[in-house]
Amino acid sequence: MSDHLHLPSSVGTLEMDGVAYVAPLPCGPIVVLEGSAVLVWNEARSGQRATVADRVAALTGVPPDAIRPQVDAFVADLVALGLLA
Amino acid sequence: MNGSQVDVPLAVRLRFGHAAVQYLADQVGVDLLHIKGVAVDPSLRPGGYSGSDVDVLVRPAHVSALDRAMRENGWRLYSTFEYGSPFGHAQTYQHDAWGYIDIHRFFPGIRVPPESAFERLWADARGIEIAGVTCQVPSVPAQALLLVLNSARSLSSNRADVAVSWGAASSERRAEIKALVDELDAPVAFAAAVGGLERYRHERDYQLWSVVSQGGSRTMEWRARVRAAPTLSAKLRIIGRAPLVNVDHLAHRLGRRPTWSEIVVEFFRRPVVAVREALPRRRGTRRFR
Repeated sequence: MSDHLHLPSSVGTLEMDGVAYVAPLPCGPIVVLEGSAVLVWNEARSGQRATVADRVAALTGVPPDAIRPQVDAFVADLVALGLLA
Repeated sequence: MNGSQVDVPLAVRLRFGHAAVQYLADQVGVDLLHIKGVAVDPSLRPGGYSGSDVDVLVRPAHVSALDRAMRENGWRLYSTFEYGSPFGHAQTYQHDAWGYIDIHRFFPGIRVPPESAFERLWADARGIEIAGVTCQVPSVPAQALLLVLNSARSLSSNRADVAVSWGAASSERRAEIKALVDELDAPVAFAAAVGGLERYRHERDYQLWSVVSQGGSRTMEWRARVRAAPTLSAKLRIIGRAPLVNVDHLAHRLGRRPTWSEIVVEFFRRPVVAVREALPRRRGTRRFR
């Protein structure tokens, strides 16, 4: 498991009206991320993977341990889909 | 916290369409320029963009490689160069994720050879980011010229691009555009869009641009296309193709691939339509004699 995650060159992304759209290229499909998923997506693309939940918690003012399982599971999903590496 | 796969706005889908075809082109070593739509400089689209497809101009020698790569990656051919437009310049593909894309092998109105035209536009192209992918676009004056030439193919009541790209252009920008018109040998189509077409009435493509910019029957357009073809072999190709059935168009009309008997029916239907178009014109001519 990589310590730092990054956006692969084979993934396109754009944000419009607070919604993040992410797609593996060249075949798709487009994945739509809304609400808290956008927060996690933006934090997961930089910094250490182990601290993503802490950084999201700092942005939202909730205790890190309250969201860590969900955040880590979501990040794992993004990696499994090939949207982060 | 949930990630889901749902319908997305067309404006988003089109941007990813640009990114996807650029990514694929980079993978297989194909040069292409993103033209029209969301790739156009914001200064030329003050009212935003409301298109429905992606348009790219491909280096002519690379068209086959891009066609092959696209078909291997989920794009389906929707209409062909031969039957997609009267100019034979573009063919359309459809992709489940990205929608429609038009692949241009040349741009109507530009009379220098397609490879030379692409090389000229490529020489001062620049990169812009679309959905995280660097896409090559022509210079802003070249974009303005392409929008003007594109407008020449629509009737004069639908020429908003001309008003912005030419009508509102500074004298310096107009000089840059005119220099490109000369370099790319595009005076007739340019005049069809901005005015002054009659100055070119002795040019071989005058009638063609007169018909497409001012209207006319399919028969008039066909005759003008033959006249505009630069060589005898090009004229013969147009003449030889004319009686054939546009199988792409027929398939889309029927919603399925046509049977042989339907193609035969269509083969005879087209000349009948042409005769019907010609008859009223003859009758009209008689009235004025």
